[in-house]
Amino acid sequence: MNEQLARDLERDIASDPRTNELGIRLQVRGERLVVSGEVASEERRATVLEVVREHDTGLEIVDHIMLSAEPGPGGPDHEQIDPPQRS
Amino acid sequence: MPDPIRVAAVGDVHLADDLRGRYAPLLEGISGEADALLVAGDLTQHGTVEEAKAFADEFDAADVPVLVVLGNHDYHSGADRDIARLLTDRGVTVLEGTSTTIETDAGRLGVAGVKGFCLGFHGRCAADFGEPEMKAFTGHGIETAGVLRRALDDLAGEEPDVTVALSHFAPVDDTLIGEPKEIWPFLGNYRLGEAIDETGVDLAVHGHAHAGREKGLTPAGVPVRNVAQPVIQAAFRVYDVVPRRSA
Repeated sequence: MNEQLARDLERDIASDPRTNELGIRLQVRGERLVVSGEVASEERRATVLEVVREHDTGLEIVDHIMLSAEPGPGGPDHEQIDPPQRS
Repeated sequence: MPDPIRVAAVGDVHLADDLRGRYAPLLEGISGEADALLVAGDLTQHGTVEEAKAFADEFDAADVPVLVVLGNHDYHSGADRDIARLLTDRGVTVLEGTSTTIETDAGRLGVAGVKGFCLGFHGRCAADFGEPEMKAFTGHGIETAGVLRRALDDLAGEEPDVTVALSHFAPVDDTLIGEPKEIWPFLGNYRLGEAIDETGVDLAVHGHAHAGREKGLTPAGVPVRNVAQPVIQAAFRVYDVVPRRSA
């Protein structure tokens, strides 16, 4: 039952137009509902938690969502790609 | 050795108003590092025209040609055509079963692009069998690979010095390691990899697999790079692709 609740919530977070987050994972641990995964901004984290709270699961929500690292300069990190050896 | 053609790439930037200002400062002056910037789909979070404007505003800072394919998120609101039109009007090249060439100091860069679709990989893929819905799902996956193959065949006629295949969905499963195996059929499509192997591609670039890894190879040994932003954790990666004529 707990597993089903978690999967249902994951599906709702993926399909809810406010979130559309496909990388959020939920786990029920005792009386706690752990929300994990990665989002790109604080605003998106808050919206995911808002959608979870709306489901009124009676469980304590534990926020383990991580914020994506803000991109740094990509310039210096070059990789050389050599041509494939073709006969 | 002649100079390589410098291909910058990123995917899955998922732009919306809350991420404005995140990319533009990092893309200014990119011409010092790269000859073109490829974006491997999921330009937006919910697939709205407003979010596409945010993408265009951010990536307008790049002073090199910007070439994109759309991703599944960009289709979510049914505004994919409007998004493509807006981006085109803003000077972005949108590829979907099409190709383009860019003249660089190091030679001619050719890029063919397609969003791609689900299907899976050898032994663990959808089959063209059973219900019409299943056949439609499978058929669309197969068709997108055919679309990429035709675009690459057309591009070969332009005789580019370097050929890059750009997609959103993954053409190999090497770059999906880290993602749950159960969802691999929804992340990639081995027929895309077959098209790449049969058309003289030098580098394949994709996104979509946020928890995957950057580097892989097709069965024939073509380098594949997963440039999903959560994977590369940078505004872009640069691949210095050595033209084939120097081999």
